[in-house]
Order: sequence, then C-alpha cells, then structure tokens
Amino acid sequence: MANYLDLHVIPRPEDTQSCERMADLLSEAHYRTVGLTVATGLLNERIRAVRRIFEDRGLDTVLRVDLKPSSRTELLRLLRRFRNLYDIVAVGCLNHQVATVSCRDSRVDMVFFHGASRNLRFSHTFARLLRGAIELNLVSDLINRDDGWAFARLRKAIRVASDHHVKVVLSSGARSFEMVRSPFQISALAITLGLNQEDSIRAVSSTPSSIVTANRMKHASEYVEEGVKIVVPSRR
Amino acid sequence: MTRRYILVKVVYDRKITNEQLDEALNSSAKRYFGEVGLSRIDPRIIRFDADSSTAIISCERNATPEFGAAIALITTYAEAPMSILPLRVSGTVKGAARREK
Repeated sequence: MANYLDLHVIPRPEDTQSCERMADLLSEAHYRTVGLTVATGLLNERIRAVRRIFEDRGLDTVLRVDLKPSSRTELLRLLRRFRNLYDIVAVGCLNHQVATVSCRDSRVDMVFFHGASRNLRFSHTFARLLRGAIELNLVSDLINRDDGWAFARLRKAIRVASDHHVKVVLSSGARSFEMVRSPFQISALAITLGLNQEDSIRAVSSTPSSIVTANRMKHASEYVEEGVKIVVPSRR
Repeated sequence: MTRRYILVKVVYDRKITNEQLDEALNSSAKRYFGEVGLSRIDPRIIRFDADSSTAIISCERNATPEFGAAIALITTYAEAPMSILPLRVSGTVKGAARREK
C-alpha cells in the first residue's frame, strides 16, 4: 500500500480526547505520516505529548509550522528563527508581497492561500516563482461554504499548477476529528476539481513524502548543504 | 453497469438508521453535483451495521471520484457533526467487506 501523508493536521494540544480520536481516524484512514501543525510558542513537553498520541497509533509524525507574516521583513525574520526547528515550514500567504517572497525562497517547503481570501489567489506569476510546493487544504477550504468561490479558487489553482508543472500537495487542514478525511476522499475532491487521477494520488503520497524525506536528510548530522554530505570512509 | 463497493465508517455521535444515512448521502451528492450528478453517482447502501457504524455503499464505477467528493463534503446531519470515512474500495461486495488485517 502507498505511503499516504496528510501534512496539515492541526490538533488541539489542550484537548487530549480530541487528539486521540483524530489519531484513531487518521490511522483507520490508512495514513502513515501526519504533519502536526503546532503553535510556535508551544512547550516542548506539550509537543512531545501530542506526538506520542499519534505515534502510539502507528503514525509517523512530522512537526510543521504555519507562518502567516504580514510583510516580507517579518517572513524573513520568521524563517531565520524557525526553519531549523521544524520539519516542514509552510507559509500562509496573506498578501502579494509575502506570496512573492515565499514562493521564491527555498527555505519554504509549501505555500498555501487562504480559502476566504478573495483578493489573493495562486496565479501564473506565483507558479513561475514557486520553488517549493503549492498546498491545497481541500477539506478546511471547502466544507461549510455556501458560495461557489472556494471551489472556483481551488479549480483555478489546480489549473495553474498543472500548466506550470509545479508540485501540488493535497492536505485536509483538519482542526478536529470531524474534519479527518481519507486519502481517497482528498484525491476524489481534487479529481472533481480538475486534477488528473495520477497527479491527485501523487499529491497525497509521493510529493509530500519527498518533501519530508528531503527535510529529514537536512536535519541529519552528516548533511552540509544541498548535494554535499560528510561521508565517513569504511574501515577495512 | 459496473459498480464500486466502498466500506465506510460513519463518524456520528448519535444513533443513525439506514434511511438517515441514505438521506445524508443523497442530499450531499445532490447539493454538490445536482440531480443529474446524483443519478450518475447512484449511491446505494448495500449493508449497514449500526453497532459498528460501518456500511457498504455502492456507486457507479465511473462516478467514484464524485462519490468520494460527495461523502467528503458531508459535515453535519440533523444539526450534529457527521463524517463518513471510506476504509476500503473494491469491485465486489465480498472484497469491500474484507477488512485489512
């Protein structure tokens, strides 16, 4: 079975019961890895406790931070501070300036655009600059919306991403156990919005997996920089 | 017509009957895909076990993504939170009923 990942799960560390139920459902939905989005100020013990809940259910966890800066300067400051502390760094683009810089910066793994934002969306300009991946939070962006705007915005983002062959990551953006969806549902939503079947499966499996693997490699002690690592000669 | 059989888990804190589940499925499919979409998906409950909150639901094979999207977008039923989580997709009822070890 493929290694399915949901890189945008937002558990509430203060609500253990909700975390446990979330972890149970994610495990039942055949996910192997989940990206736990935690607040930057959260204590290490709290983070460890949340990770343990998910890991006890057989899920591999990666720590993710969502940066939502309001300016370019703030984004660069946050990246300097948090890049090495988290496995995945994602930027929620609130304005054009932040979106441009975060698409161009190689320290940003993923960018996402808020579902409610009507002024800013993933366009050809951002797609040309993008070095990481575009993340589409299908569940949190689509549910409980009565207007067709969110659907139209996601459909456009998928079309732009396909045109420019940029990496697409499909996530749920689940904040509670009721928002947990299986990889089949996430990919089905993307197919109905215009992504082809192979790409939609890749977007919940190999694409997020490659991001996690690359970032884990960077955290290894022998890693120096991209393409360079310390190799200890074997003693014979 | 060829059909797909999907084993689903119903996450709902209240008791739910076969008819209520059918209503939830049909209303979501109709809301997001319209009457024509609903007829294309043609969801049918094959089995429903209220104790384990699992059901086997079938849909038209060509409309499997639409069915997946329709059940992904179910969030409430009778003003209580509800979600439907597919556990297994198969071409036969027997295959869908077989849970992974």
